[in-house]
Amino acid sequence: MAWTFRFLEEIALADIGFEAEGESIEEVFQGATQALLESMANPSTVSDEWEREIERTDADQSALLFDWLSDVVYWKDAAGVVFREAPLTLTREGEVWLLRARLIGAPVDQQTQELHADVKGITKHLYELKQAGNRWKVRVVLDV
Amino acid sequence: MRDATQTRQTIPDMNLNTNMTVNRITDEIWEIPMSEKPDMLVPARIYATKGILQAMDSGVFDQLTNVACLPGIRRYALCMPDGHWGYGFPIGGVAAFDVQDGIISPGGVGYDINCGMRLIRTDLTLADVQPRLEQLMTELFRKVPAGVGASGFVRLSREEFRRVMTHGARWCVERGYGWHRDLVRMEEGGCIEGADPSIVTDHAIQRGINQLGTLGSGNHYLEVQVVSNDRIFDPVTAAALGITGHEQIVVMVHCGSRGFGHQVASDYLKMFEKSMRRYGISVKDQQLACAPFRSPEGQEYFSAMNCAANTAFANRQVITHQIREAFAEVFGRSAEALGMELVYDVAHNIAKIERYPEGDLVVHRKGATRAFGPGSPELPEAFRQTGQPVICGGSMETGSYLLVGTDHAVRDTFGSTMHGAGRTMSRAQAKRRVRGIQLQQQMKQRGILVKAVSMSGLAEEAGLAYKDISEVVESVDRAGITKKVAELRPIGNIKG
Repeated sequence: MAWTFRFLEEIALADIGFEAEGESIEEVFQGATQALLESMANPSTVSDEWEREIERTDADQSALLFDWLSDVVYWKDAAGVVFREAPLTLTREGEVWLLRARLIGAPVDQQTQELHADVKGITKHLYELKQAGNRWKVRVVLDV
Repeated sequence: MRDATQTRQTIPDMNLNTNMTVNRITDEIWEIPMSEKPDMLVPARIYATKGILQAMDSGVFDQLTNVACLPGIRRYALCMPDGHWGYGFPIGGVAAFDVQDGIISPGGVGYDINCGMRLIRTDLTLADVQPRLEQLMTELFRKVPAGVGASGFVRLSREEFRRVMTHGARWCVERGYGWHRDLVRMEEGGCIEGADPSIVTDHAIQRGINQLGTLGSGNHYLEVQVVSNDRIFDPVTAAALGITGHEQIVVMVHCGSRGFGHQVASDYLKMFEKSMRRYGISVKDQQLACAPFRSPEGQEYFSAMNCAANTAFANRQVITHQIREAFAEVFGRSAEALGMELVYDVAHNIAKIERYPEGDLVVHRKGATRAFGPGSPELPEAFRQTGQPVICGGSMETGSYLLVGTDHAVRDTFGSTMHGAGRTMSRAQAKRRVRGIQLQQQMKQRGILVKAVSMSGLAEEAGLAYKDISEVVESVDRAGITKKVAELRPIGNIKG
């Protein structure tokens, strides 16, 4: 696991901001996903009784990550679940990038899960995916 | 109160979190001139005491002046004293755009469309409630689901959910989740016309269909409060609104349109990002994505936004039904016998068409409340003497306020005022300063019983993360855009 993330303290006072980074574009996707999952619940307190496979393609990596994170927020409400993990791969398929992910979690249970924020949406405020040297980095602000 | 038209005065060394020029108009009104940023079409005005202005984060100045560059904006881009860094528009932002050549922007409304406040009065006193407070809060916590992913007790077919979108709180009253007279005491009667469910995405329906009657998390809450005689500032108006003091118990609700509204906002931000190029609109922040109000995209968003706004009115109405049921069970008398009448329900994240001297304008309020004065023809008879009630939620530790709108607000701020205390500290900073469990214990010692789904979420909402609401309220009272009626002190709080 070569990705990392950190929550940002000085931006978007009422919301949640984080930066994720990794050595590859795939790793930065994984880091940002983990930051989002942890914003909603402590993944270690969530079981694995619910699962959804998701595939997305886009020529633009930044748009692909934004839409994928938005998928996670959508399923939180649509299925009433929080998440344990979301293993994913990112591959180049001709002109587009292909994201294959498994979203794994369980229905919300206030007795057994450590719940955090109810994320409303992924915002484009200060949203930026970039390569700096040999590392990839993304900054995301969640509306909560 | 001073006249807002008096001479501008540049004050050096204001010690603000911006390098921009900020001129004093009055002690509570400050103006950033159009010269401060290329493309500003109008000046930006901030309503605040000098102290609040000095504490405002840099994001407010930058974002407000970005708003002042949007096509069709009229008069000023405004920010209320509870303003702080948001995304696109600042929280506390008010901007009005001409319906003919102006825009509509989901970023000027926010993700939580028609997030708003509701206040319910009772005939109960602190002496009645204190011995049963634990039981009452437990029952309220059970009946009003809160927190991430929570679903409500109302089960809806898609067809029925579409009826909620068009009928708002009226749907609730038809289904027995409220009293007919509740509707008079809501902005727009709890139902905004022009909602078209056919243009709402399946994603939005799927996110919201099971969430009617739920609070959500973040700064959303349900609070049991007390009104003491010494905290009533205008006894005549208070009495007209059903606030009688003598340690009277009232209940405040803060929530919005839940996942449904959040998805509507997301869907149209994405659509507008693409359509802006077609209309030749460029914005200084992607979150200001917008469309001409008269364009097909603009009209579609307005219609979808109204669907979400009506759903929010319905959400707060179902919650009210549950609150009334909880009180009736705990106190063994019907909600009517307990005098649980609605004081008012008002939105603070919305865009609406309103008429001003400039003509019909699309007034965006994002973390700002409509504040029509006694003379406003739009108000129902019940508020023609008092002015429209304005409900401002403070932090869960410090209390909240009931205010009323004024004719000055209609003249000066497109009939708008503040909505709450406003944050001064990020969620991450607040969590470093205090732990949720510790805060819950401290509040219990101070007589405030808190039930929370998330302890980290509780810490994020600590009073230390917010401005002093009394000073924020003083700003708008002295500026004349709302008048203080009563302060409401918390004794029980439910958070997601």
